[in-house]
Amino acid sequence: MSDKQPKKKFSFGPGLVGALSASPFALLMLFGFVAPLLCVVWFGLMPPKTFELLQAPTLENYRTIFEQTYFKSIMWSLGLAAVTVVILLAVCYPLAFAMAKIFRSGTAFITYAIATSLFVSENIRLFGWVIGFMKKGVVGGLLETWFGLQIDSLLYNVPVIVLGMCYVYLPFMLFPLVLGVNMVPDQVREAAFDLGASRWQVFRKIDLPLSMPGVMIGSLLVFVLSVGAISEAKILGGQKVVTIASDIESEFTYAQNWPLGSALSTLFIVLTTIVVFLALARFDLEKLLGKKPSE
Amino acid sequence: MKTTHNFSRRDFMKLAGAAAAGLAFSSVPNLAWAAGRDKELNILCWEGYNSDNVLNPFRKMHKGLSLKAESGTDDPSMINKLRAGEIKVWDLINLNQCWARQQMWGEGLIKPISMERFMPYIEKMMPMFYNKEMGINPFALSPDGKELIGMMQRFGPMNFVVNTKKISVDMAEDQGLPMFLDPKMKGKYGLLAWDNWNVMHMCITAGFSPYKEHTPEEVEKFKQTAQTLFANAAMISGDPAQLNQALINGEIDAIYSGGIYTCSVARFEGFNEVHHISPRRGPLEGGKGSLQWFELTSVVNNPDVSPLAEDFLEYVQRPDICHTVAMAEASHNPVTQMSQPEVFNKFKKDELNSFHWDTLEDQMNRSVDYQVVPDNDLLTSIYNEAKRTREG
Repeated sequence: MSDKQPKKKFSFGPGLVGALSASPFALLMLFGFVAPLLCVVWFGLMPPKTFELLQAPTLENYRTIFEQTYFKSIMWSLGLAAVTVVILLAVCYPLAFAMAKIFRSGTAFITYAIATSLFVSENIRLFGWVIGFMKKGVVGGLLETWFGLQIDSLLYNVPVIVLGMCYVYLPFMLFPLVLGVNMVPDQVREAAFDLGASRWQVFRKIDLPLSMPGVMIGSLLVFVLSVGAISEAKILGGQKVVTIASDIESEFTYAQNWPLGSALSTLFIVLTTIVVFLALARFDLEKLLGKKPSE
Repeated sequence: MKTTHNFSRRDFMKLAGAAAAGLAFSSVPNLAWAAGRDKELNILCWEGYNSDNVLNPFRKMHKGLSLKAESGTDDPSMINKLRAGEIKVWDLINLNQCWARQQMWGEGLIKPISMERFMPYIEKMMPMFYNKEMGINPFALSPDGKELIGMMQRFGPMNFVVNTKKISVDMAEDQGLPMFLDPKMKGKYGLLAWDNWNVMHMCITAGFSPYKEHTPEEVEKFKQTAQTLFANAAMISGDPAQLNQALINGEIDAIYSGGIYTCSVARFEGFNEVHHISPRRGPLEGGKGSLQWFELTSVVNNPDVSPLAEDFLEYVQRPDICHTVAMAEASHNPVTQMSQPEVFNKFKKDELNSFHWDTLEDQMNRSVDYQVVPDNDLLTSIYNEAKRTREG
């Protein structure tokens, strides 16, 4: 009798299947996200006004950034993004509540109506506002025709930039909020009312904390998108303010200074990441998203 | 009140993830990759050459041809595309006159075209582009004058634009660009954010030529001029159509940095009050105060260049195509071939009026060629600083 043992058949273990399944995504992230990002970081260390990646690194570009007034553009971008988030939270929360808890067939209509706006290019939508707000445009023309009122252009100021940003990024706040508000169980709200809680108390103690995942995701989406916004300040604001995205674009185009543009991009990515993490640090995301129980 | 939608946290995370993925994909650029260059031609150009009216007849001539044209709004960005490796993508590049000879030729980004093939076309161009005394305009030649590095077609002066209902042509031509420093102009003009043009015009406004190394005093004057011009501008835009609209509806009286290139479409639509100004005098060579450009279309030094690149250059010399190029949708401009009756006769009166044909020769005579500014880096940096710290 032979003591030969039967050969083990090769089989895919769960670990290997997992690794294989994850590999397309890992490759995509590696070549589509990590590699370009590293290129930008490295390019920021190249001598100014050069186009070669293989040179001795220098901090010259960062010195230029700190010597000049780029901080103004950074502050404008961060400030406009923060204001947009706050306004959209105030505007969208009541609508999200209505869509999640009150409307029936109306919810689908509002969802389609708002989602449809995303199918039209942002620039075209913004130029629509230009036609509305310019001197003798739709608003000015109607006021003059109906009431004899003559108004100047409503464009080229900071409030109209904020209006444009709120308009463009509204869906990115509204839809996460709708999902967040949907997660608030009605039974909990009803119990609170039965125990004598006021509307304000229910909102503060139940609605807001339980819908916080939607609030957080919506705010993060809007903040990250609007901090890199460029068109609103250019088209509606007449470049009343210069955002950091506009500065970066200038360095890569007219100024032909890719290393400085890359250094600005790197610095801005780092700053945005810090701001986002500082905001997240105030909330326990895992707890908010229900992955760990409340203490 | 009953909950009618039962979303779990898992559903929420799925939807949030899908939204994030959608966002990420929305920013992926479109890339076109070449295969079989005899059926492909890619053109990097200023607005106009990318018009289907210009491209479609060439497509019909070459069945199965993939002809793509991408427009840019500034020369340096387009050159940067070649520097960044797109030299393998593009076959033709169409830029203002100075860049081919002063940058692209030296960097090996473009290659010479056949003198023998194109000379018969050049000999029939307007005198400022070819005459027996000068020969071929030097900007179309390599620095040693031996190689033809591109073909000349659209041209025009580029200074500023006024609404003649508010500012007279005579006064604007007389005062020139310094007119914009007048406190009375505060809030009455828009600034076209074509930065490399503005740097040159701000030098002229400050009282010196852009085409030299500047003294510290001149640099300081440039800074003050840039700050004043940005502070007093009612609006800044990179879109000439938006500025023309503001000029027509009375929001502004003038546009700082503008040319026939930027205002001709508005004029063609009947707004004759939109008027380009070429100042009578200034600090440029020969006491001139006006700048002029012409485009040079060069063959890219693509290692696998399309064999149709030179064919396209010859195709745009056809009288009917010259007219189409001149009257492209986005911008109407005179073309160098208008010295030929068979080309000139194709233009109607209102088309000629759109690009100031009646005064064009005068305007060109007052102008000097657009060139690369020697200390452009320094001046651009000051210019951007003034834009960023704009007050007003």
